[in-house]
Amino acid sequence: MMRLLYKEIRLAAHPNSIVFAFLGCLVLVPAYPYSVIFMFGCLAPYITFLNARETNDAWYTAILPVTKCESVLGKCLLIVFIQLFQLLFSIPFVFLRNALNIANNPVGLDATPAWYGFGLIVYAVFDLVFLSTFYKSGYKAGKAFIVAAIPLVVLMIVIEVVAHIPSLAWLDSFQVKYLQIQLPILVAGIVCYGLLLGLAYRISVKHFDKVDL
Amino acid sequence: MDAVLYVQGLCKQYPGFALNDVGFSLAPKRIMGLIGKNGAGKSTTLKSILNMVSMDKGSVKVFQKDFSRHEKECKQRIGIVFGGIDFYPLKKLSTITAVTKKFYTDWNQEQYQKYVQRFGLDEGKKFKELSNGMKVKYLLALALSHHAELLILDEPTSGLDPVSRDELLHIFRQIVKNENCSILFSTHITSDLDKCADDITYIQNGCVLKSADKDSFLRSFEHLKTPEDTGLLTLEQIMLRTERSEWDDEAAV
Repeated sequence: MMRLLYKEIRLAAHPNSIVFAFLGCLVLVPAYPYSVIFMFGCLAPYITFLNARETNDAWYTAILPVTKCESVLGKCLLIVFIQLFQLLFSIPFVFLRNALNIANNPVGLDATPAWYGFGLIVYAVFDLVFLSTFYKSGYKAGKAFIVAAIPLVVLMIVIEVVAHIPSLAWLDSFQVKYLQIQLPILVAGIVCYGLLLGLAYRISVKHFDKVDL
Repeated sequence: MDAVLYVQGLCKQYPGFALNDVGFSLAPKRIMGLIGKNGAGKSTTLKSILNMVSMDKGSVKVFQKDFSRHEKECKQRIGIVFGGIDFYPLKKLSTITAVTKKFYTDWNQEQYQKYVQRFGLDEGKKFKELSNGMKVKYLLALALSHHAELLILDEPTSGLDPVSRDELLHIFRQIVKNENCSILFSTHITSDLDKCADDITYIQNGCVLKSADKDSFLRSFEHLKTPEDTGLLTLEQIMLRTERSEWDDEAAV
């Protein structure tokens, strides 16, 4: 598995996708729609798949001692790596933001545990749609992104809107009593991410098996 | 001796083209040329063998093992070169090699360095900075550095100048002579095979017209000779006359 990930990072990943992985630090910006960070995490797979297509990555992978199934696994690992790295990388900046006593984000939801849970759900839904659509052809990255961008945009809007609904203000709070009730959302996000990524992988393998290079 | 590659009843249907019941076998330490005009099905055959194209019917055995079930294991012992395809054009050769060698359990860095020197490759160069001949040589260096026992080469000499082609053919002969290796290579440049092939498989319109050792192959096309021909026909003459007779048949219809 590590060999596949190493290959993806060194040969297939577009350099910008690695930059996007570091944009978790944007949670430090005082006023910013933080759900845009998730968009960067979804753009990363898109530009990487475009880059992989233009550099004949699928062909090269096919001549290595690697099965088609592992070819898909490599890409899934790369996506998971970028998205989880991005979220984990943002955590120290959330603490820094609180240590600096920066006021609550007036634009939308703050980077609370609920925000992380929603982020994982956004990634899970995007990846499921993007991967399963892409691997139907093995090269139509643009189409896959457009299709997957629809639920992405809807979920991003929902995340930004909930912060402005008074009855849901607890989602935007760092008070301990509210943090506790946000935790189930984070857990749901983790479970959702694990399940949907597994499903995305299975569907993609099934589709890619029928694709002729 | 057991065949290193055994292809049987390979069928693949595309809209407007089909591979029909393609079958042949390659013995150890032999060079087989896969010939046929453009679009005859040479590359599709190779891709089907390597599971890059899902075949509708048929079986492929490599080293007496079912390839589809033992793909990883078989690929450890196969070197593959596709001529005319640019892989990672902006990556340095050293980067591509660093990744590639991690996938082979039997990677031989000394052997690789030997080929790098022999082919005059500069590992600091990007893939796109190489000429077509150097690209093939680089891919060949990768393919030969993990003790491959079977080389599958798709049009490796296409687009090369006569000097580079001759050099590559010489290398192929040396590899088969000095190492435990067989080569299957597709080409439409039949003069290459006159120089180095032991066996020939001729594919026409997705079907194997003839697959045999070179002498038997040349003799089996004696019916195409004209009164002016004294010796055996060359592969080029066989191909031209076979394809031409097909045009004549079509014209008559």
